[in-house]
Amino acid sequence: MDTPAHGHPPAHDLAHAPAHGGHNLTGFVIFLCSESLIFLAFFAAYITYRMSAPVWRPAGVEGLEVREPLLYTLILVSSSLVIWLAERALQRGRLGAFRGWWLLTMVMGSIFVFGQAQEWAKLPFGPQSGVFGASFYLLTGFHGLHVITGILLMGLMLVRSFRPGNYDNGEAGVVSVSLFWHFVDVIWILLFLLLYAWQR
Amino acid sequence: MTSESSMPRQLLPGLLLAGAVATNLLVSFSMARISHQWLPVQASTAAPYVDDLFALETGIGSFIFLGCIGVMVWTLLFNRADKYDMDDGDPIEGNLRLEIVWTIIPLVIVMLIAWKAIGVSQTLASLGGKVRVAGAEDAVQVAESGSGGSAPAGAIEVIARQWSWEFVYPNGVRSTELHLPVNEQVTFRLISMDVLHGFFIPAFRLKQDLIPGSVIDYSLTPTREGRYRLRDSMFSGGYFAANQTDVVVESATTFSRWLEAAAKVPLQPAANPATDLYRQRLARGDRGWATVPPAPPPLVHVSQDPLAGHEA
Amino acid sequence: MKPDPQMSPSSVFDPRVLKAPHPVPGAPDNWRRFFGFNTDAKVIGIQYIALALFFLLVGGLLAMIMRGELLTPPSDLVDPTVYNGLYTMHGTVMLFLFLFPILNGFNNLLIPPMIGAPDMAFPRLNAAAFWIVPVFGVVLMASFLVPGGPSSSGWWAYPPVSTQNPLNHFINGQFLWILAVALSGVSSIMGAVNFCTTILRMRAPGMTLFRMPIFCWTALAAQAIQLGGLPVLTAGAVMLLFDLSFGTSFFRPEGGGDPMLYQHFFWFYSHPAVYVMVLPVFGIFSELFPVYARKPLLGYHVVALASFGITFLSLIVWVHHMFTSGTPQWMRNVFMVTTMLIAVPTGIKVFAWLATLWRGKIRLSTPMLFALGGLFNFIFAGITGVMLATVPVDIHVGNTYFVVGHFHTVIFSTITFGVFAGIYHWFPKFTGKMYYEGLGKLHFLLTFIGAQLNFLPMHWAGLMGMPRRVASYDPEFAFANVLASLGAFLLGVATIPFLLNMVSSWVRGPRAPANPWGAIGLEWLLPSPPPAENFEHDVPTVISGPYGYGLGKPLVDDQERYVARSQEA
Repeated sequence: MDTPAHGHPPAHDLAHAPAHGGHNLTGFVIFLCSESLIFLAFFAAYITYRMSAPVWRPAGVEGLEVREPLLYTLILVSSSLVIWLAERALQRGRLGAFRGWWLLTMVMGSIFVFGQAQEWAKLPFGPQSGVFGASFYLLTGFHGLHVITGILLMGLMLVRSFRPGNYDNGEAGVVSVSLFWHFVDVIWILLFLLLYAWQR
Repeated sequence: MTSESSMPRQLLPGLLLAGAVATNLLVSFSMARISHQWLPVQASTAAPYVDDLFALETGIGSFIFLGCIGVMVWTLLFNRADKYDMDDGDPIEGNLRLEIVWTIIPLVIVMLIAWKAIGVSQTLASLGGKVRVAGAEDAVQVAESGSGGSAPAGAIEVIARQWSWEFVYPNGVRSTELHLPVNEQVTFRLISMDVLHGFFIPAFRLKQDLIPGSVIDYSLTPTREGRYRLRDSMFSGGYFAANQTDVVVESATTFSRWLEAAAKVPLQPAANPATDLYRQRLARGDRGWATVPPAPPPLVHVSQDPLAGHEA
Repeated sequence: MKPDPQMSPSSVFDPRVLKAPHPVPGAPDNWRRFFGFNTDAKVIGIQYIALALFFLLVGGLLAMIMRGELLTPPSDLVDPTVYNGLYTMHGTVMLFLFLFPILNGFNNLLIPPMIGAPDMAFPRLNAAAFWIVPVFGVVLMASFLVPGGPSSSGWWAYPPVSTQNPLNHFINGQFLWILAVALSGVSSIMGAVNFCTTILRMRAPGMTLFRMPIFCWTALAAQAIQLGGLPVLTAGAVMLLFDLSFGTSFFRPEGGGDPMLYQHFFWFYSHPAVYVMVLPVFGIFSELFPVYARKPLLGYHVVALASFGITFLSLIVWVHHMFTSGTPQWMRNVFMVTTMLIAVPTGIKVFAWLATLWRGKIRLSTPMLFALGGLFNFIFAGITGVMLATVPVDIHVGNTYFVVGHFHTVIFSTITFGVFAGIYHWFPKFTGKMYYEGLGKLHFLLTFIGAQLNFLPMHWAGLMGMPRRVASYDPEFAFANVLASLGAFLLGVATIPFLLNMVSSWVRGPRAPANPWGAIGLEWLLPSPPPAENFEHDVPTVISGPYGYGLGKPLVDDQERYVARSQEA
């Protein structure tokens, strides 16, 4: 009876389906763009401090160790490939493979968090050690929180994957979490370049 | 003949409009002239420039405001609907020429004002260099040595605290009342020992924040003898409103006499309204919301005269 | 011949209004739904507006005490430290607990019906975003009770004053303030995601972007600013919190930090934030002037695009709040130029409204009075804004009462006037009742006079050198302050007819018809109040642009059927 124009779904569907998959992904992408700006703001602060602070590194601190963080970086970045494999498996309907790759991503993320915590424990300076210490812990801590959030969201998606009919309305949840994980990875690459590669 | 009888009618709206515009121009011009009265007395070289720029903006602003309000009033007088009249007005959706005009003209006006303002800033050239330092003691050292900045020898250190002003002259005289010789350019080295403060002398039309962790050079030339207010313009905590003192502009001879006499007075804690207020608060049982206690009043040769009135 | 119902509405004298049965069939009557977790955007909208009006009273009460103090030069009513807390909380409450929530309330009420959608894209997120507001409202009010009192560093919370923590308690007023503002940010981002997705994805068939009402354009432009700016404020707030509570040195010079960085982060959001507040009101004006002049909005397309012009420009002007801080001269000049540029898209809108009035058929109902008053004040505020953008002038008047006068003329005399205009205009639609016009006009008269009396003298005081945020002042400013205080007290009195009107009209006002103003718009094709899912399964197809007064084309296909349906209830 109502002929929709411009490819809109029939009006009664809009009325009775509270928030279908298409809208969810749009909303999440908008949110992610906004969230990325927090990191950009922190990056701007870091760059400003590094270039203009009268006292940069605390006394006795020569620089940051690069090799171990590089290893954990490789693990985190590879996990983006793994999560992509998981998504591909889901698209092909291979739930077992999906769950396997998904779990592996979570493990790799956890290894990264563990590595970060290790590094924090071994550092000779703390967040109160001048503007360098404050920025370092703020950036890595905030990022670490996002990694942990990503792992938790992945856990939620994993649990949901066992529900029958979970993917009838599309895979917006999995796609969103996967996007979040890639985002976390890109942020880390930028962070690594700023904190470890660009040292005075 | 049609042309003869319709000509006055055709001319009438044009004449009315021209009359309205002319009246508007007249009133706006008067507003620009009057605007000088809304400002304090002019006591520095900067003041005439700032006041003239303000007058220009008042004139242009009045013209635009009265023009727009005139249109509004006209429609309220002559375009009112009758009580139960629900008919539509003229179905005009756009007017390209008008829209272009009211986009271009404001753009040109604001860009012209901006260009003029850049010129004024260059002429005034009040803001000097800024040096980053790592703390209050560092700031004092840098300010005293004159290093790192563009300040010539003979700069006056301005030290702001919660809640007092201290001025340190090149010959070592310390005062909480700022004395300046008329018609001579003076440079200040602005430092803060704790939080943000604002160095604001309305009669000079000048203002600069004092930033902890920085030493800022600032210059001006007073042009009129008198006593003027210096007020803290950047909120600095509990007794911020009391952080005021006077600026005394006097002839060169009076100034040097004051400076010589001051050097001979022994150092003592300055009279400080904030300290008095805090003492009263403690006497009342420390009732009130949280505040840091005032910094101890600086040790100075000359204190601010609490009874003297000020002109602006 | 039967007159076209869309074009000839009823007034309060219409017998249909006076004789309608009550309660209204189809409109849920249970008042309890406003106090729970309800996902209907119309309920959430009312919740936001009612809560915001409550906090308007709280913020207003704080203002009354402040103006009482400022009636005399010395600090003799409250301790200066108490005054500092009062003015800080006045600003914070008014912005975060009144203005932003009430504008979100309007978004919730207006956006779905205006675009023909049944609800927002994410109804549960919508409800959650609302319920965060009373939570941080409680957090902020609680800060009055902690030892040391509430935050007293101004609504800007500039360090180092804001991180001094005199009593050295972990939980202090400033901490709670940061927490409240952070929660406000979370709520706003949730709302922004919702509003943007809804506007972009859920419009009725035939409603292209350039057939969308201007209110939706300005809402989209405003929410885009929220998404772009709030994260930077969040970053600054996190760093401030760490300095305050965990001893870091982001803004402490002894540790290499710089207080200036906070200012940049703060204003990078807080300047565009003022456009978040004013853009929806520009939208309200754009909706109201065509209705009460019965003319199309002149230059609709350009007015729509100018909203985004304002969005983009608003992101590159923030340093004009820092002309007297430690910014170098070249930076001041650059930002003066960008700030001046904003006058252009804003001017386009102002002139478009004036042109819309010209040769219209003006009706001075209360909504129109507030809209006209708001426009009048905005033109004045725009001029003082250009003065503030001019660096040499701003050096003199920055941080004085000139600025206070300017922004109150915008925030109160323009934005709040626009909010009142919108409340009166859409009150009949969303409550199903008509308000009392006499009380509305009285509210307008008292508010208009009170506002001029309150804020005009402030400009003069600032020009003469009275700094802002002071609990005491030199005697030469006494006269201006007495006038301002009288105006403030009058504004307090003016709230009385407004509140009386709102409450008694909703409870026992006459029934409102579907379209009391004869307005053109999708929301006016719905019954008053609209059913839970607006058009439900019968969404109209839009066939022409908005504001088609006098152009002879219906707004939607089969319009008579929708009009008849709206009048059945």
